[in-house]
Amino acid sequence: MSSNSVKTSDRTVSQVAEELYLKCIRCGKCLSVCPVYRETRIETMSPRGKVALYRAIGEADLEISEIYANKFYTCLMCEACREVCPSGVELDVILSRSRADLAHSGLLPLLLQQLSTVIVNAGNISDEDNVQRLGWTENMASRPVGLDYSGQVEMTYFVGCVSSLFPASYRIPQSLVGILEKAGVNYALLGGEERCCGYPLLLNGESERALEMARHNVEAVRATGAPQVVMSCPSCYHMWTHTYPEMLGDDALAGIDILHETEMLAELARAGRLRFKPWPATVTYHDSCDLGRKSGIFEAPREVLRAIPELELVEMADHHGHSLCCGGGGNLETYNRELAQALPARRLRQAQDAGASTIVVSCQQCKRTLAGAARREKMRIRVTDLAEVVAEQLEEPHA
Amino acid sequence: MLDPKIVAELESVVGEQFVLTTPEDLIAYSYDATFTSAKPDLIVLPANTQQVSEVLKVANREIIPVVTRGMGSGLAAGSIPFGGGIVLALTRMDRLLEIDRDNMMATAEAGIIASELADAVAREGYLYPPDPTSDSYSTLGGNIACNAGGARCLKYGITGHYVMALEVVLADGRIMRLGGKATKNVTGYDLVHLIVGSEGTLAVVTEATVRFIAAPETERMAQAFFPKLVDAGRAINAVLASGANPSMIEIMDETAIRSVEEFLHMGLPLDIEAILLIQTDGDEADATRGIEIAAEICRQNGATEVQVAATPQERKDMWLARGSISGSLGRIRPNKLGEDVTVPHSAIPEMIARIKDISAKHDLPIVIFGHAGDGNLHPNILFDKRDPEESHRVEAAVGDLFRASVEMGGSLSGEHGVGVLKKPYLELALGPIAVEMQKRIKQAWDPNNILNPGKIFD
Repeated sequence: MSSNSVKTSDRTVSQVAEELYLKCIRCGKCLSVCPVYRETRIETMSPRGKVALYRAIGEADLEISEIYANKFYTCLMCEACREVCPSGVELDVILSRSRADLAHSGLLPLLLQQLSTVIVNAGNISDEDNVQRLGWTENMASRPVGLDYSGQVEMTYFVGCVSSLFPASYRIPQSLVGILEKAGVNYALLGGEERCCGYPLLLNGESERALEMARHNVEAVRATGAPQVVMSCPSCYHMWTHTYPEMLGDDALAGIDILHETEMLAELARAGRLRFKPWPATVTYHDSCDLGRKSGIFEAPREVLRAIPELELVEMADHHGHSLCCGGGGNLETYNRELAQALPARRLRQAQDAGASTIVVSCQQCKRTLAGAARREKMRIRVTDLAEVVAEQLEEPHA
Repeated sequence: MLDPKIVAELESVVGEQFVLTTPEDLIAYSYDATFTSAKPDLIVLPANTQQVSEVLKVANREIIPVVTRGMGSGLAAGSIPFGGGIVLALTRMDRLLEIDRDNMMATAEAGIIASELADAVAREGYLYPPDPTSDSYSTLGGNIACNAGGARCLKYGITGHYVMALEVVLADGRIMRLGGKATKNVTGYDLVHLIVGSEGTLAVVTEATVRFIAAPETERMAQAFFPKLVDAGRAINAVLASGANPSMIEIMDETAIRSVEEFLHMGLPLDIEAILLIQTDGDEADATRGIEIAAEICRQNGATEVQVAATPQERKDMWLARGSISGSLGRIRPNKLGEDVTVPHSAIPEMIARIKDISAKHDLPIVIFGHAGDGNLHPNILFDKRDPEESHRVEAAVGDLFRASVEMGGSLSGEHGVGVLKKPYLELALGPIAVEMQKRIKQAWDPNNILNPGKIFD
C-alpha cells in the first residue's frame, strides 16, 4: 500500500481527492448525455451517481465492494459526461481512478480478469496465436508490400487487434494498405510483432500490465526505422499519443510521428495523392470517443469526405465533442454484453433522422458495434470505415 | 429499514431487480440538485400505473412515506426523502403515448424526459413551449409536480398552462383521471391544476396530456453588454413596454459571465456588469422588427454593444452560455443555494439592487442570472456548507431575499417550488389562513400523510 492510500476494511483506495468531487453540484446535466443512464434510467448507473459514490468513499460513508465495482464497470468511459459538465468535474479521472482502485483491491470482475489474462498471454484480445494477426492479408489479391519491407520505410502501419483478428473488420486494413500502395507510400507491417496496445488493460484499471504492452510495441515500431506510425484504431491512437508518453516518458517516443488513418488520409488528399470518383450519397460521420472527444480529431475525416465529389455530408443530433458513444467502449461489451448491445440503436436512429443512408466511422470497434446493431434491429443503413470509403472511391493513379 | 416482508411484497409488484436496496443505490437516490441529502429505505422503479397503484396500497397500509421522483434535478429539495421510506422513481415510465394532431395535444407517461416530448412535438412541426433549463435532464412528471417554468414563459407561460389532463394515483392506490381534451371545462373544481405544482404531496402523476401550439416561423436573438447592472435592469422594463414582444429576456451578471466564460471560453467580455439575452419570434418581419426595437432600447439604456445572431447556430451558441451558468457555479464555491424569487416587472430594477445589498450585508457572493423578463430572478448564493458560520449567514441572507421579494409584491418561488428549503417562509408569503387551507386540502387527499411528507409545510 502506498503512503497516500486509505484502508477501508481490507481494501485499498487511493486517496479520494476532495477537489474532484466537491465541484459536482449535482445539477444532473450529465444524465442527459450518458448512454448507460439513458438506457437504464437508473441513477446509480449515472455519472452523477458515480461521483456521489466516489464522494461517499471519501467521506467514509461507503466501502468499495463488488456492488461498487459493478457500478464503475457499467460505464463506456466515453467521457460524454466530462464534456458536458458545466462545473468542470474531472469525471475521466474519477472513473479511471476508481477502476484502478478496484483492480488493485482484487475486485476486477471475473469476465474482465479473463480478458486481461488473454491479452497478457496471447498479446491480443481474442486469444489467438499472435501470428494470426496476419489473417486479414490471406484473401487479398496480392500480398501487402509492407510485409516484406526493407531499407528505409516512411511509415509503420499499426493495425490493431480488432482489424487484425475479426474477419468482419478485415476490409479496413485491406483498404488502408491498398491506399498506401496506390499513393506510393513505402510502409511496414509488424505482423506477429504487434501486440495489443494495452488500452483494454488500462480500462480495467491495470496500468502496470498496459505498460508492458507499451514497452514492447514502441520497441517493435522503432525496429522498422520508420519515422511515422499510422493507426486505424482510435483506441490504439489514443494510447500511443496520450498514455504511452505518460507511462514511458516523452523521450521514449522521440522521433516517431504518430498519425491516425484519418489524419494521414487528409494529408494525402491535401497533397493531391488521392483522387476520388463521385459518390452521390447523403452521408454522416460518427465521431468515435477516443478519436474525437478524447483526442480532438474532428476535422480530418470530414475533410476527406468533403473532398469526394457529389457527397453530401450531414451531421447527426450529437456530433463532434458531444458525439454519442456507439456502445463499444469501456470494456462494457465484455462485462455486460446485453446492455452494450442495447446502446447502438439510438445512434443509428440519429443517423437516419439526419437523412443519411451511410454512417461513416473511423474506428473498427464502432463499425463492429454499429453494423451489428443495424443487423439485429433490421435498420436500413450502411456502416463503413473511412478507409473503406476512400479505397472504393479512389480513381486509378494517373500515369 | 423496512420489514423484509414488505420489501418482498414490493418486489412481487415491480420485480426484484426494480427494488433497489444496496448502500450504493441509497446514496444515489439521496440527493437532488440542491446541497441537501437524505437516504431512503429503498427505491422502487415501477413500469406502469398499475404497479404505482399497488406500491401505494402497500405504503398506505403500512404508513410508509413515498417520495416520488423523476431525474432529481429539483432545486428546492422537494424529492429528497428526509423521513426515509420509499423513493418512487418514475424514470422507467417514459413512453410517448400519443401525438394528437387534430386536437394539438400530446400524451406521455410521467417519466419521459421533458425535452424528448418537446422534440417529438417539434418533429411534427409544432411547439411545446415550457422550456426549463433542465429540460434534457428532468421529466414531464417532475415539471408538472413543480409547475416548472423556463425562459420562454415570458411570452408563452409555464408548464401548468399546457396541462390538459392527468392520470394520477391517490395515496390509497386508487387511479383517477382528471381533465380531458376539451379546451373549456368548468365542471367542478379544477383538480388538474390543483395537482400541478403540488410537489408530489397530493397524488402521484403517472400520465399527462399537454397541449402544444403552432411553432413560430422564426426566432431572432440578441445579446447586449451593459457596463452597469442597474442599466440592464432598466432596459428590461423598457423592452417589455416597447411592443418588441420578446419571447425571452435573460440576464447574466458579472459573476455568472465569468463563471460560464471559464467553462466555455466563448470570448464574453469580463469587464461588464451584465449581459441581457433577448429573443423574439413570430414571422420573419415580426421577429426582425422586435429584435431591432429591443437592440435599440438596450443601446439607449446604456448597452455598449449589442450583437444580433445571424444564424441559428449563433443563437444556439448565445443560449449555450446562459444554459450553462447554473452548473458552472460549482467552479466558484462547492455549494449553491439557487433561489427563484419572482417580482412584478416594475420591481425588477429595485430587486436587483436589493439583492446586491443583501450580498454585501452578509458578505456572500450572490450571482444573479435567469429569466429576468418575467421578474423571475435567480439569485444564487455561493457558499461552502462545511463552514457552519457561513451557512448561518446563508440562512440570514435567504430570509432577507424572501422578505424583499414579498415586500415588492413578489413570490418566494417562480418555478422551483417550495420543497423544504422555502418551507419556513411559506406563511410570510401566503399568510396563515392560506397555509391552513392548503393543509386541509392535503389532509383530505392524503389522510395518512404518506405522500412526500414534510414538503411545502409540516
